[in-house]
Amino acid sequence: MLGGVFHAAVLFLVAAGLQLVFGVQRILNLACGSFYALGAYFGVSAVTWALGAGLPAPLFVVVLLGAGLALAAIGPPLERLLRTIYDRDESFQLLLTFALVLMFEDVIRFFWGTAPYQLGQAYLIYGQWRIGGSVVPVYNLVVIAAGGLIALGMGWFLARSRFGRIVRATAENREMSEALGVDMTRVYARVFTLGVALGTVGGALVIPATAATNEMGIELIVEAFAVVVIGGLGSMRGAFAGALIVGLMKASAIAIYPEVEMLAVYVVVIAVLVLRPSGLFARATA
Amino acid sequence: MRTTRRGFLALSGAASVAAALRLDAAPALAQAGPVKIGVLAAKAGVLAPVGESGMRGVQWATDRINATGGILGRKIELVIEEESSPKDTVERFRKLALQDKVDVISGAISTGVGLALGPVAEEMQTIWLAWDATTQKGVEESMPKPKYSFRSTDNECEAVMASILTARSWKGKFRTVAGINPDYSYGRDNWAAFLAIMKKSGIEVQVVSELWPKLGATDFTAHVAALQQAKPDLIFSCFWAGDTPIFMKQAHAAGLTQSTKLVMTTGGGVHESLKKAFTPEGALLGYNCMYFEHPKASPLMKEFVRWHQEKFKEWPNYESDHGYFTVVAYKAAVERAAKAAGGKWPSIDQVIQALEGVEVESLSGSRRYREDHIMEATFFQGFTTHKNKHDFVTIDPLESMGTKQIQKPSGVGLYDWINSWKV
Repeated sequence: MLGGVFHAAVLFLVAAGLQLVFGVQRILNLACGSFYALGAYFGVSAVTWALGAGLPAPLFVVVLLGAGLALAAIGPPLERLLRTIYDRDESFQLLLTFALVLMFEDVIRFFWGTAPYQLGQAYLIYGQWRIGGSVVPVYNLVVIAAGGLIALGMGWFLARSRFGRIVRATAENREMSEALGVDMTRVYARVFTLGVALGTVGGALVIPATAATNEMGIELIVEAFAVVVIGGLGSMRGAFAGALIVGLMKASAIAIYPEVEMLAVYVVVIAVLVLRPSGLFARATA
Repeated sequence: MRTTRRGFLALSGAASVAAALRLDAAPALAQAGPVKIGVLAAKAGVLAPVGESGMRGVQWATDRINATGGILGRKIELVIEEESSPKDTVERFRKLALQDKVDVISGAISTGVGLALGPVAEEMQTIWLAWDATTQKGVEESMPKPKYSFRSTDNECEAVMASILTARSWKGKFRTVAGINPDYSYGRDNWAAFLAIMKKSGIEVQVVSELWPKLGATDFTAHVAALQQAKPDLIFSCFWAGDTPIFMKQAHAAGLTQSTKLVMTTGGGVHESLKKAFTPEGALLGYNCMYFEHPKASPLMKEFVRWHQEKFKEWPNYESDHGYFTVVAYKAAVERAAKAAGGKWPSIDQVIQALEGVEVESLSGSRRYREDHIMEATFFQGFTTHKNKHDFVTIDPLESMGTKQIQKPSGVGLYDWINSWKV
């Protein structure tokens, strides 16, 4: 089951970015998958460079986190671009953010080429643990822990911090918060950047366990949407629960009857759509 | 990494020096203008690295041929288009044939695309020389007697060879088997062929797990966990793209590669990504029809490998050889047909006739087209070793088998053919 939780941790980060941006800005950001892919590539390059510059190998996780966060710098300019479509039809959002997906795929191809990128040794630096008869790489646990910590951090941030309160207020009622003196432009730019960071950190963290490929973003967007539908659009807790459900469903399907791996996930999606159309953790107010 | 047209042209100068050693002075013909070869090369998705590799082979062949006077005095000009979905690729094939009026079209890797291109090539009456694409529906040939389509080797060759080697080396040493193969025809057919050959070889196996991840998947932690539970003696996989190193890494991290026998029929296509850090020794690994470090490599192959390494900082894989072969086979066929036609530039029909049975020296050795337009080549596999100068695994000793041994003959079903073996 740990395999499923590992996948869920990564999925949560991407879905959380999607949720945050939708919750506040009402933008359904397809490009969240691209941030994930970019984070992965950028993470590989950063770690390769840092190791070359003499960094002690076990510190590579710090570099990955740093790379993911640094890459979030693409957030503000992208948000500036999206500003043109805030008040327009959703189809424009989908078109524009999908265009971003395709453009980022070309950006990746331009800088990193088409061959898969990977970090050879890093994955096993922390060794393996034997848990209940099966061997689990410690790094998987690191990623799971990071996902959990980020989820807790996000929860604290939204519920307790001053900026979190502003973000929630904006999500509830944009006009009212604006009337109360909240600088919407800055809030949007920050929220979007945070959304980007969740994706890029997710991509950077997963990379030691896998390899960066051009289409890795697209693959995840589809699953992130399943997560969002299950959890409820715009809800952080929904992203967390949805990611766990999707991750565990996939893992148990693979263990028991692999043919239904994707089917199982979408059966849940359909069940949620039929029984609770707004998702498990939908917000009370629209 | 990136292969630009300009970069290739710049290099053709260097290639010409080497190529100048061989002078097959062609008679100057009255035929005007260059010979146009249309190329369909994948540029996006899982196929992109493979498409690029094929393109390198085509470009290298073209540069060498142009440096020695072209085909019967006509230079080759490449018109490059992208292989993507079957529908779009068919459109580009038509465009190459109608608008660019190319003489021949080389390319296509995916059998999904190949199935769509086959009938179109017939309809457009344009010779199509596939790199890796077949026109197989599953293991059945959908176009037994095409006129214009020349297809690659059968999809199951690697699985057949790997199965023969498995039976030969490990008979009696394993009982439970698991398969993890990409979820489409190639993965399913290769797994079925493996099981059929085990049965034919008198090896009783018990299948403990069959996993079908999507093509292009990048997370196998759940699959690896399922394999851990199933505890197979042997894992069979025909992963061929970026999924190969990912699976290997995650399997290794879970301790799956230490005691389990591994059969990777096609992973050699991404050989450089199979780092020693996580790829065990003693796994059976297939390189399709070219092995970059062949101990008895021909001078041609050595020259190509050197060029490829210097230019791209990478060691080439088999797709380059497919690409190279299509161009030199076309040249040889035109020359052969022209000779028969008294020195005139041959008609399409004459070229097709000459392509049937044409045999040329390709990078990996001698290759030819069968009379039913299927490629014949030699396949290379072996057991992985860490004893080399690279940071990735290579194989030693090298096993090679010709398609005469591992490819079903013309007009015979795969399983009928396997059942007819004398074991």
